[in-house]
Amino acid sequence: MECIITIELGTNAVRVYAFDLQGNIIGSLKGYCPTFHSEPDYSEQDPDQVFITMLYVLKNLLTEKIHPKKYKVACICFSSSMHSVLAVDKRGNPMGKAITWADNRAIKEATDLKQTTLGDKIYKATGTPLHPMSPLTKIAWIKNNEKDKFKQVSKFISIKTYILQQLTGEYMIDYSIASATGLLNIHKINWDADALKFAGINSSMLPELVPVFTRAGKLSKAYQTSLGLPASTKILIGSSDGCMAILGDGVNGEGAATITIEDSGAVRVMGDKVLQDDQHRFFNYLLTENRYVSGGPTNNGGNIFEWFTRQFGDFKNPFDIEHSMRELISEASRVAPGSNGLLFLPYLLGERAPIWNANARGVYFGVNIKHEKAHFVRSTIEGILYGIYSIGKTLEEHRKIDTLCINGSFGSQPFVTQMVADIYNKPVRLRQNYHSVSYGSYLLSATEMGIFKSLDDAAKTVSLVDMVTPDKQAHQTYLKYYKLFARLSTKLSGEFAAIAALQH
Amino acid sequence: MNQFVLDHSRSDDQYLRLFPHIKEIGVIKNSSIRLGGFPYSPATDFEIYYVQDGKFEWCVDGNVFYAYPGDVVILLPGAAFGNPNGVLEIGSFSWIKIEGDGIQQNRYWVPGEWSRLNKEEREQVGSVICSGHPPILQKFTDAGNILKNIQAELSAQSVGYRAKVNGLLDELLIHIARQFTKVTNPGRDFPRTFMEFEQQLRKNLSHQWTVEEMAALIGMGTTLFNERVRSYSGFSPLSYLINIRISQAIKLLKDPDISLTDIALDTGFYSSQHFSTTFKKLTGYTPSQFRKNHLKDK
Repeated sequence: MECIITIELGTNAVRVYAFDLQGNIIGSLKGYCPTFHSEPDYSEQDPDQVFITMLYVLKNLLTEKIHPKKYKVACICFSSSMHSVLAVDKRGNPMGKAITWADNRAIKEATDLKQTTLGDKIYKATGTPLHPMSPLTKIAWIKNNEKDKFKQVSKFISIKTYILQQLTGEYMIDYSIASATGLLNIHKINWDADALKFAGINSSMLPELVPVFTRAGKLSKAYQTSLGLPASTKILIGSSDGCMAILGDGVNGEGAATITIEDSGAVRVMGDKVLQDDQHRFFNYLLTENRYVSGGPTNNGGNIFEWFTRQFGDFKNPFDIEHSMRELISEASRVAPGSNGLLFLPYLLGERAPIWNANARGVYFGVNIKHEKAHFVRSTIEGILYGIYSIGKTLEEHRKIDTLCINGSFGSQPFVTQMVADIYNKPVRLRQNYHSVSYGSYLLSATEMGIFKSLDDAAKTVSLVDMVTPDKQAHQTYLKYYKLFARLSTKLSGEFAAIAALQH
Repeated sequence: MNQFVLDHSRSDDQYLRLFPHIKEIGVIKNSSIRLGGFPYSPATDFEIYYVQDGKFEWCVDGNVFYAYPGDVVILLPGAAFGNPNGVLEIGSFSWIKIEGDGIQQNRYWVPGEWSRLNKEEREQVGSVICSGHPPILQKFTDAGNILKNIQAELSAQSVGYRAKVNGLLDELLIHIARQFTKVTNPGRDFPRTFMEFEQQLRKNLSHQWTVEEMAALIGMGTTLFNERVRSYSGFSPLSYLINIRISQAIKLLKDPDISLTDIALDTGFYSSQHFSTTFKKLTGYTPSQFRKNHLKDK
């Protein structure tokens, strides 16, 4: 019997799943891998620890679930979070840690570039918003701030490129990850000359650009031995977590969108055209030559509710935040939609889409003497989801959306899913105990193996069995508050800047 | 000034005769400022001060703070302590100085054989107390009450007082250890607690960590600790430690000037053989093969 293994390199954990060829899960394991914050704006991962964690988890899954049942591993497919940058020297050794998407050190490079016509040109060519998350601005930051190091850099690579290079010796980057660097021209699918010039590098300092179906070389002898895998095991380069999350939900083409809410979140659509937005509000990432994943990311998802829980949860079971979150949610469910007039802006971490304002901050608005703790709990969740709705609204200026899919640990909680359906006034589909990113990687692998004719066909086979239907009355209530939410979010921009300055 | 001190200096050492580990216990009530009455000097033993009344400007290792009634100051041997100007201020406080186990070491202390705790528990309590917490525990009246009881037992010398005093000392130490962990992690933020825990491992990678020690570091029982670490990280505490060790070894292997034995010991393996076997099991390479591969230009 053959099986497919998917490996997701995330910023908090490495997740390994094994599927049979029909897409049933045979086993899964995760391994925690920390993100380091040596400075307030910094967010870094140790590439060697990511590698060792990946090896460890993969090896454990193989020895526990795969080898004893005599499965033959047909393919190992990788995905990773986007926007990571790692500088390596001429021996391929890391020069420091890998910078992750959440790192904000390049804020000046991003803000300056945004105000120029060059910036506009680069955004339109690359599809990546001009933001410190983008490797384009991170490399420019290293050029401007670490001149000696910059001179020694042989290549700038992504964390996935590093992991694959350790396993096979090849330096490759797939279309999806490359299209999130801010350096790739997504229309012509080659490195963009303006972007390279701004970053101060040439294309030989980047990995080889390849489609997501590419075999990223052969597993080196030592790893064949330690993992117990034959040389013929296919190592597929795969895609990004964002692209796989939408593919795994089977969302493709006009009429559908997928919402992911983990710690942070995103609303995404997939189609054959780039979404051109004059206000630079969306990303456009490449899955294949003719498939674009477009949408907007938010900084403020489940992490904001976790923050709230840490402050106000009862923690009757020490260290069991899930339990405290469930208690708070049940408290919130006893309050009517709209939280009796208490409105929350969730921008504790600044915000990306759609307002793209790093200075934005959280606000409880309209507090009156009758509000109790339960109203604060409910309005916190409502505010996070108004933020998610505001991304969907801007997407609807370009794309029709009739149905929604939802995934992610925060988004798939029943209370949250229902609220999303009510706020959007659209049916929402999901599947419990389902990991969209890994399933997306399974679909990609199975397509490469010829089990599906194309990714479009593969996407059609996905059925998210649970559907939540919207409550019209609740929707009417939410809509009134949302209007106020949207107004406050832009109206307060001067005050956001002022309070952010005081906080620095 | 009104002072009552018991120590071993007097010939009629009747009160502390059965307690060689208690170097000194006392209480002071001071009604006028005394210059030179409370000099800033190194602690000789493990020392606990409990403020009953007044407001004291005190300093531990260069950090000046105010101690108020109910506050407890905890000192490890060698920590500099006193009023920054040597002044004894108005108010009252009590204290106890307890000798540690074995050789006197700077900033290190575990309860001695007198304790009713078993060896493992003594080490756990010791490692929490020594793990670099701020020296002051605020509004910690439990400690004051126990100190008062110890003094009462010592003066009364009723039947069974030896067992009673040592029992109270154990209770005091356990209370302090628990209070320290409660202050640093109130049980709300496991991700942050885990991050702090893993930083401790990194700082001291060559140490032969046991799970009990790790659990004590964040003030949890071993079973709950194991379960929480597993569900959060996917690894058992010891597997996670091995992960960090090998990741660190990989970095060191890329520097040709460090010997394999040094790398092995620095990263906490028993020997270069142990390092080599563990490394090869995971990566398929021996450390020297791995080193050779990564010193070539690509």
